[in-house]
Amino acid sequence: MVERLSHGPASVHRLTEPFALSQQMISKHVAYLVRARIVIKTKRGRESVCTLRPEAIKTVSEWAFSYRRFWEESLDKLQEVVKQMKKEEAEDDQ
Amino acid sequence: MTNNKVNEPERMVVTRVFDAPRELVWKAWTEPKYVMQWWGPKGFTCPACEIDFRVGGKSLLCMKTPDGQEGWNAVEYHEIVLHEKIVSSMYFSDSKGNKIEPEELGLQDEAIDGAYDVTLFEDLGNGQTRLTLVGNEPMGSAKESGQFEGWVETLDKIAAVVAELRAVPQ
Repeated sequence: MVERLSHGPASVHRLTEPFALSQQMISKHVAYLVRARIVIKTKRGRESVCTLRPEAIKTVSEWAFSYRRFWEESLDKLQEVVKQMKKEEAEDDQ
Repeated sequence: MTNNKVNEPERMVVTRVFDAPRELVWKAWTEPKYVMQWWGPKGFTCPACEIDFRVGGKSLLCMKTPDGQEGWNAVEYHEIVLHEKIVSSMYFSDSKGNKIEPEELGLQDEAIDGAYDVTLFEDLGNGQTRLTLVGNEPMGSAKESGQFEGWVETLDKIAAVVAELRAVPQ
């Protein structure tokens, strides 16, 4: 959906087309993106038009702040640190 | 749409087994010298780390994105059981440790009010340690509605989108 919006603003109806989901489900997803401030929703006549907020996307991507991802990737690094510490300790013991 | 009523929200749990004794993992987890080497996602660095590791103490950590943007987190400690358990709460902050609401950063606030992060260190024998992180983020409702997957997927795609946005002048 974000990919679609990167090509330009689109109505909720338009956004529903490529997905095998009901408009209700799409609206829910859009609401989620709006809440996360990734998408701005405006009214044009009877239709709701969705526009990407590039600044927001930039913020989110740079933070990549999925809580889980944050920890998984930090732990990957921690694993390396611990490995190194263990090696140094072994060397000290010699 | 079903309305799921969950009394005790499912928490985010991350576990990792380290091929090292518990004391060592604890040290890597709590001493600034080591924390600075692992804090933050892939590609991020940690240019600043102040740790006041005691109950009631507060730590301040900085992570720097690959293109130089800095983000700060503060951690407060509520319970510490040496080499076993840390109960803490983490939040976004400014460089002085003042709390910043996630919304201000364009992030969704997913924390459960009054819930803490719990970090457990288990000795598995054979020089192995299992680290378990129980986050204060509710997983249940988001997962059931499919929003969680959607969110993860969104994040996965965002990098490509940003590259595209950057390539096309606004």
